[in-house]
Amino acid sequence: MNTLSEDLSGAHRYFGKSLSYWLNAAALAAVCGSLIEALFWQIAFNELPCPLCQLQRVALTLAGIGMMLNIRFGPRATHYAIILASALGGATASVRQVLLHIAPGDTGYGSTLFGLHFYTWGFISFFIMMLFCVAMLCIDRDQLQRSKAATTYTLSTLLITLFFLIAAANTFSAIAVCGFGPCPDNPTQYLWQK
Amino acid sequence: MIMMLPFLSALLAIWFSLRGNRPYTIWAWIFTFVIFLAWMHYHMTDKLNISL
Repeated sequence: MNTLSEDLSGAHRYFGKSLSYWLNAAALAAVCGSLIEALFWQIAFNELPCPLCQLQRVALTLAGIGMMLNIRFGPRATHYAIILASALGGATASVRQVLLHIAPGDTGYGSTLFGLHFYTWGFISFFIMMLFCVAMLCIDRDQLQRSKAATTYTLSTLLITLFFLIAAANTFSAIAVCGFGPCPDNPTQYLWQK
Repeated sequence: MIMMLPFLSALLAIWFSLRGNRPYTIWAWIFTFVIFLAWMHYHMTDKLNISL
C-alpha cells in the first residue's frame, strides 16, 4: 500500500500519466477557460478590453506557457519559474487596476461576475497560480532535474492546440481594438467601426 | 508602444512548443515577458482616463 508521500509524488501515475501531468493540464485548462470567458464577454456584451486588461490577458497567456512546457516536456524548475514570474507580473497589473478604481463613487471598469470585477478575479487567479507553484514544487521535488524529450500525448496536443487558437484570437482582438499602436485608455469600438 | 506585439510573440512561443522546440519557446517567452514589463511600466506611470 502506498504512503501518502508516495501518492503525492509527481511521478506517481494516475490513469497512465503522472499526477504532475494531470495537475498542470488542469491548470492550463483553467487558463484557457479564463481567456475564453474574457473573449466571450468581449464579443457577447461588446465590452472591449482596456490596456491593463490586455496586459492581464498577456500575463495569463505567459503563465499558461509555463504549464504547457510542463505537460509537453515534463516538470522543470525553469517552467515553474516562468509561471511564478508571469503570475507576479499579472498580479501587479491587476492590483494596479484595482487601486485605480478604489476611490469612493467609482463604479469600476466593465461589468462584474459574481459581484467582482474581472481585474479583481484576475488578481485572485494570479494569487492562486503562485500557490499552485508552491504546491507543485513540493509534489515534483524529485522530478525537476530529469531531462525529458517532448511527449506527444493526444490530450496534450489538443489542449496546446486550443491554447494556441485562443492566443491567436487574442492577437486578432488586440489588432482589432488597438491596431499596430498603443491602445486607447477607454476603448468603446473596434477600429473598423471608427 | 505596440499592444499586439506581446500577443504575437506569445503565440510564437506556443507554436514553438507545439513543434517540440523547448529552447525557442523559452526565448520567445523571455522576449514577451520583457515587452510585458515595458508596457506595464508605461501604464503604471502614464495617466489613464479610466478612473473617475
